[in-house]
Amino acid sequence: MAVRRTDYILKRILFAVMTVFVAITINFVLFRMMPGDAISNLSRVPHATPALRAELAKEFGLDKPMWQQYLIYLQQLVHLNMGVSWVEQQGQPVWQLLRNRLANTIPMAALGTSVAIVIGIASGVVSAWRRNSAADYVSTNVAIAFYAFPTQWLALMVLIIFAGVLPSYGMHDVFSMQMGRWQSYLDAFKHMLLPSLTFALTLFGEYTLIVRSSMLETLGEDYVLTARAKGLSSWGVVRGHATRNAMLPTTTLIALSLGYIVAGAILIEAVFSWPGIGMLTYSAVIHQDYPVLQGCFLVLTMSVIFFNLLADLLYVKLDPRINE
Amino acid sequence: MNPVSVEPGVVPDLDRPRRRGGLLWDVVRKRKAAAVGAGMILVFLILAVFAPVLAPYGPRTQVGPVYGSPSSSHWLGLDDGGIDMVSLLFYGARVSMIVGAAAGLVATFIGGIIGITAGYAGGRTDGVLMRITDYFLVIPDLVLMIVIASIWGPALSHIILVIGILLWTGTARIIRSQVKSVRERAYVKRARSLGAGHFRIVFRHVLPQIAPLLIANVVLTVAIAIFDETALAFLGLSDPTAISWGSIIEHGFIRQAVTAGAWWAIVPPGICVALLIMGCYLLGQAIEDALNPRLKVAHLSIKTFRLRSLAGKGPEVS
Amino acid sequence: MSALLDVRNLHVWFDLPEGQELHAVQGVSFTLEPGERMGLVGESGCGKTTAILALMGLLPASASVAGQVLVDGEDIMAGAEKSIRPHRWTDLAMVFQGAMNALNPVKRVGAQIVEPMHIHRIAEGSEAERRAGELLELVGIPASAGERYPHEFSGGMRQRAAIAMALACEPKVLLADEPTTALDVMVQAQILQLLTRLCDELGLALVLVTHDLPVVAQVCERACVMYAGEIAEAGPMDELFHEPRHPYTRLLFAATPDLYGEDDVLSIPGVPPRLDHTSPGCSFRERCDRAFDRCASDHPESMMLAPGHVAACHLNEVGAAAGGSA
Repeated sequence: MAVRRTDYILKRILFAVMTVFVAITINFVLFRMMPGDAISNLSRVPHATPALRAELAKEFGLDKPMWQQYLIYLQQLVHLNMGVSWVEQQGQPVWQLLRNRLANTIPMAALGTSVAIVIGIASGVVSAWRRNSAADYVSTNVAIAFYAFPTQWLALMVLIIFAGVLPSYGMHDVFSMQMGRWQSYLDAFKHMLLPSLTFALTLFGEYTLIVRSSMLETLGEDYVLTARAKGLSSWGVVRGHATRNAMLPTTTLIALSLGYIVAGAILIEAVFSWPGIGMLTYSAVIHQDYPVLQGCFLVLTMSVIFFNLLADLLYVKLDPRINE
Repeated sequence: MNPVSVEPGVVPDLDRPRRRGGLLWDVVRKRKAAAVGAGMILVFLILAVFAPVLAPYGPRTQVGPVYGSPSSSHWLGLDDGGIDMVSLLFYGARVSMIVGAAAGLVATFIGGIIGITAGYAGGRTDGVLMRITDYFLVIPDLVLMIVIASIWGPALSHIILVIGILLWTGTARIIRSQVKSVRERAYVKRARSLGAGHFRIVFRHVLPQIAPLLIANVVLTVAIAIFDETALAFLGLSDPTAISWGSIIEHGFIRQAVTAGAWWAIVPPGICVALLIMGCYLLGQAIEDALNPRLKVAHLSIKTFRLRSLAGKGPEVS
Repeated sequence: MSALLDVRNLHVWFDLPEGQELHAVQGVSFTLEPGERMGLVGESGCGKTTAILALMGLLPASASVAGQVLVDGEDIMAGAEKSIRPHRWTDLAMVFQGAMNALNPVKRVGAQIVEPMHIHRIAEGSEAERRAGELLELVGIPASAGERYPHEFSGGMRQRAAIAMALACEPKVLLADEPTTALDVMVQAQILQLLTRLCDELGLALVLVTHDLPVVAQVCERACVMYAGEIAEAGPMDELFHEPRHPYTRLLFAATPDLYGEDDVLSIPGVPPRLDHTSPGCSFRERCDRAFDRCASDHPESMMLAPGHVAACHLNEVGAAAGGSA
């Protein structure tokens, strides 16, 4: 079952690129096909004079045929011209907003996701190893429960429980204007804890279930019996053989949860007012700030595609059956 | 190499077409998880259907102050409009379950058609359909739902369709593999060679075989749909006049329930959503497990084999 | 002096879901001396695989075991898992059917051979790797192939590697479960020759489990014929073929037209009995062409008919109507 490595990598990259195109096209189609005529929608900028409207119409080529508009759109994207926000700070360029906010989301989401992965792997492995024991039963049902809790509700629970203990609003203390640089980082970090905690809580359930399922599959394989036959202890088998093999399908499945991570970012940041791209999406929805909403969709989708590709490449590294 | 397979599976007989109704009942009877899941769903179903009869108060009737505390007459307190929370939960079940079920059905319907077409036709059609499915698998569902719902406007029908249009991908893949394997079975080939048309074969032979899988899929998709509806409601994208568990949470959030200390306006609806999703997950997963009986014995477990003495057990020792 | 391997009255039961039990192995006994090659033959489901898995304690938690397994006089079964584990691979080693999955696909072959040496503290580091290389050469694979992954090997090479791996801790007994079933005929012959050579050169004792009679004929001097969890007959190969003392043995060998011909086509009419409930009498009687009234009521016990030759059949008893030979 050997597949050439370079072929595989190229195929995955090509797929990623195609998916990006599909996403861009969907974006284009959706916003050009909005109810109401495009000109009045796009130029729903506050205080728009007829002159401004005419300008915008020309810039976006709204009088031209659809395929030409598409090309113009692509061109603008390449130049990172995604329009201006209708709401934020007197028409700030969308790209700038996206970039800043994304920088805030990434560390928060990364921390939460990493913790979730570690907990998920640990409890999944132990559950599978001690299948049908009390530990397995508890662990699995807790995982299902946390998987079922709506993310925004978990965020509110964390808020309610920890409100006095840790900062729960925004990224910086409102009253602390005069902080030194390190102090300000520390402050931001403290503010990051609750949102990250929520992230971890909302994700670990699914990961536990995925890892447990992979491990159970693996534990039925013949080489596990061989390992036992060689005299390895039960834990030795799990540690030395089963876990490594179970990580292969696990990597793939965790990659599939990226969409869930992105959705979580939106809901969690909304609750904690964490100034990241999720919060930006939320306020764009509330205020119907369509340029920003478009931008958020593109950025979030690109992130998912990117990390998906990374997971594919990681898989190639892990599985020796895909070789040169 | 494995001496004995001891998984209590309901193993499909591969060469004879299987009766479909019996399987579900078997699963619920034999597997505790399935029974628990089905039970939970049933409870909520009853609450939803009989809400007007069971609910202590009306869902839009103010019966006390804003965020009134839980009391003996209002076990879960009052919301931001002075409305009884328990009644809200009962009525909220209706919209949550209707949207979830409808969206789940739409998604399974679309996914089923695509999966069957791809699996049955094979070749180029299969390739193209699966490629499209893969694109949509990667593109994050909820984000796209948010965008479409924002543009389209708040209405329950919109929400149902938006969720349904994006959740078909998982179903499509699973159904496609199953259809591919059914297509190769003896009785299908026989029907083909007898000149049966494609539609006839699909309806009479393929569909009954994949029906249990479709059902498992509907249930699992409904679970996701409920989760998504709750999220969309939270973001203000659902019908503002509809009461769902998701909208109850949204009201609580927007109207500062947390600051007011009114945990009862937020905690119960979330628990209800979780319980219903858990129920669907347990039931759907149990059906799926029954369809793929794990024939392998785990080669590893904490307990090991036991020793026995022969006195009084087994045949005579000579 | 005690035998190298002495299995006494081995029983294995499996718990079934509805509370019943499957009596998979019913009182199996045999002995093995160094260098001896013994076959364990029978139809699928007769319990031969379970029996040898039991010798190494490789049974699931749903199993219970009775009897003794003596290695150089010491009963390794006395303390169940705890007492058996130290003896795994060092005294008893196993080669499984279909080495594709018996080897871990994500680990290099050399590493998998070295692994038991580490586990049992026999060798470490470069010394272990050197030994692994020697073992590979011993089975006819270049030592450098240890750097490869299992999927890079052909079926025959994989099985050789599995044999090399089994020899890593210099075991006394090699248990081979259908080692050639998944291979094509040419490769089969090579593997069997390899096994024979190893037994001769290393003094290794071999238990070869198979349903394929030509395979047993090629390698083994003795065989135990199992039916429905019990040993129907055991003895030297040529005696089993020329003078079988159990109808099953006779029918089994007769069903294979030519010992050096093709694969097994066991065409004895009927099916083996279910092992989840006991019935009185002989378990073979429904398919036997020589059953008589006593067969339905009395369970035949194993009787020694000649040195090294036992059989469990009422026909062998003095006073039985006709002899049991072909």
